[in-house]
Amino acid sequence: MKLEIVCTGIGGRGVLLASTMLIETAVKAGMKAMASDEYGMSQRGGSVVSLIKIGDCNSPLIGRENADILFAFEESEFYRNLVFLKKGGTALINTRKKTLPVRVDELLKARRVDCHLVDADGIASSKGSIQASNMALLGFFANVGKAPYNVNALRETIKEKTKSKLVEKNLEIFDAGYQSQVE
Amino acid sequence: MGNIKMEVMIGNYSIARGLVEAGLELAAAYPGTPSSEIIPGIIEFNKREGGHIHAEWSTNERCAFEVAFGAALTGKKAACMMKQVGLNVAFPSFLSARRKRIKGGLVIICCDDPGPQSSQTEQDTRLIATLMGVTVFDPCSPREAGDVAYHAMEYSYKHKVPVVVRPTHRVSHARENIGLYKPGTRKVVLNEGIFLQSGGFGTHTKGLKDGIEGKVGVVKPSDKNPPPKGKFGIVASGMTFSITADVVHELNMLYKIPIYKVIKINPVEKGLFDFVDSLEKILVLEETDIVLESVIHRGNKVFGRKNGYVPAAGELTYDTIRDIIERLANETGLGKSGFSPDISIEDSLKEITFTPRPPTLCAGCPHRSAFFAMKHAFPDAIFPGDIGCYTLGISMGAVDTCIDMGGGVDLASGFYKAFSQDGKFIPIIASIGDSTFFHAGLEPLYDARLTGKRFILVIMDNSTTAMTGMQPTPQSGITADGTKTHSINIQDVVKAFGVDFLRIIDPYDIPLLIETLKEAYNYLASDNNLEHKPAMIITKRECILSAKTKPDASSGAVDIEQNCIGCKVCTKYFDCPALVFDNEKQKITIDEGLCIKCGLCLVVCSMKRPSKKAKK
Repeated sequence: MKLEIVCTGIGGRGVLLASTMLIETAVKAGMKAMASDEYGMSQRGGSVVSLIKIGDCNSPLIGRENADILFAFEESEFYRNLVFLKKGGTALINTRKKTLPVRVDELLKARRVDCHLVDADGIASSKGSIQASNMALLGFFANVGKAPYNVNALRETIKEKTKSKLVEKNLEIFDAGYQSQVE
Repeated sequence: MGNIKMEVMIGNYSIARGLVEAGLELAAAYPGTPSSEIIPGIIEFNKREGGHIHAEWSTNERCAFEVAFGAALTGKKAACMMKQVGLNVAFPSFLSARRKRIKGGLVIICCDDPGPQSSQTEQDTRLIATLMGVTVFDPCSPREAGDVAYHAMEYSYKHKVPVVVRPTHRVSHARENIGLYKPGTRKVVLNEGIFLQSGGFGTHTKGLKDGIEGKVGVVKPSDKNPPPKGKFGIVASGMTFSITADVVHELNMLYKIPIYKVIKINPVEKGLFDFVDSLEKILVLEETDIVLESVIHRGNKVFGRKNGYVPAAGELTYDTIRDIIERLANETGLGKSGFSPDISIEDSLKEITFTPRPPTLCAGCPHRSAFFAMKHAFPDAIFPGDIGCYTLGISMGAVDTCIDMGGGVDLASGFYKAFSQDGKFIPIIASIGDSTFFHAGLEPLYDARLTGKRFILVIMDNSTTAMTGMQPTPQSGITADGTKTHSINIQDVVKAFGVDFLRIIDPYDIPLLIETLKEAYNYLASDNNLEHKPAMIITKRECILSAKTKPDASSGAVDIEQNCIGCKVCTKYFDCPALVFDNEKQKITIDEGLCIKCGLCLVVCSMKRPSKKAKK
């Protein structure tokens, strides 16, 4: 088994925390997992990429068109990192848009990409914390059926790995993201 | 692993753990990406183990090295940490120390930055250590980095010589599950040699004899396990090895291409040459200079940087390594293997304009308003810059140079003198951060002061070492573990230089800062007397990330949109990541996830927006 995940977004918006949840949950489930973070020189506001490999691997680095899953916590970072995504991969994009530009849409269809546009900012704002949109996207992901572990395992990790005063809010937003898939 | 406790951690914490388990007694470092998390890791694990390790942030890398070396001379197990260019600062003492017999142990952890991602230059510590005859290790993963750190301390203590460990940022900042052993009990076996992977090389070939069939790991060539014969093999070290193993696996060539993994770069093990000599072609993959390639030294059979197969600079990414291996495999007749990029991806993105996101100062960063004022007051000035977050002032046109820590102050002196020799006087405004000022700004300032260089020096004091993750400065009044200590005030230090013009300004007060900069320039221009120069301004405001008092978050969103005429001067001159131009509205909008509501963009808007009367 091998699962390659690219998490991307803007510094300060929880990309690395989301990636932490993904790797910690895998490790707890007894899987081998590695991650590699790239955050450049910006403390906030720059491009952030976190690469995760779960399963049979020696390095956490991911090649072009090899990623099974592309998490984009911001839309333009999705375009910037689209070359990572393999044919038949899964994309999750935090955006208020209902559709992507026509040519991108055609490309994703041609490459059989399972693409989800999620208004994670909207979900998180409606619960009073736009900063936690990462949790909304994670929640949504947990319901897509591509994770190598179940939703409860991911919830447990959020409980353990977020600051205690934020746990309740994070779980609320995670659950709202999970539910939004059904709606 | 049995009952060993495991924890997911970054490579730098794994290194810290290895050192603590190896009996470390003293550690000193100056923060620098990608090395900065090792000292906090040591402090954390020391606390957990109830140990008595002394860990300190030094004012610069030379201080860190010398403190650690002093302790090692007396018999302690000591370590110092730095980034690759930090070794340049510690170089005088590193050169002297390498031949001294120590009583204890000394491990120098020097983290390299291939790319570079957050340095002014790439630099290969393995090359420096090899040239200078110092033992150096190159770990390939966070887990191995911990083992190597442990082993390096044992090695240094046993052989009584300083030892270098060189992780790259991809090791320092990668994360994986790491075992926590009881101090002193770790059994380290360095897995150097021929790489074996289940279903891959060694498990199905006849090159390696019985006994290792089905074994996964690494084996040293020996009489019992003679090196494989064949057309083509790879020698690799560090994270480059780990990526290479994944690439060869992806290309389904584990049967065809044997890989030799090197950990100890200097001196290399004999097994490496046995491997090299049994193969027709050898590809050397290493970051970032020509080290193993030079050591192997087998003329035309070696493929690497010297003959252009490996790029001369830049990170060896997964894709780069895949390209190189495919090319050589094809040329060697190992069969054409499979990856061709789907360029329809790039095609589909051609018409999309997505926000370019070069590194930028945070929303609300006090440096941004200081740079804005500098550029507004003197658009045509020369702006010598320095190393830290504020190097990013380059995007606002308020940083022209960046060579090394403290270099901006000396460059300002050189620029001033060059113009003044030709009878010209122009505005020169140098900037330097508080931590960098203590690190390397003092000596250049002595010289500037003694010879009366007429430039403005802006010390950007945000009370922390922000870029590397909020380490204290000599002014902070706390030590590495948070204990209170004496605070050395920048203002007092600067006063001791005896400069006439010294102002301390809140950079959020943009109009006052502009006025003060003009005042400073007039002072320098009107007084030919060389005494008491340069002019100095300390812009003092806490880093927005660590500030105890932040702009009122409960206030409503900053209303930049209401009066916006779409002229984009705010993004041009102020470069705040929270300002986003909305193409549909043709107006600037605020990214509320990033905005900290300092409201300074409104000040910039009022100063810079074109009025109807303006000629532009």
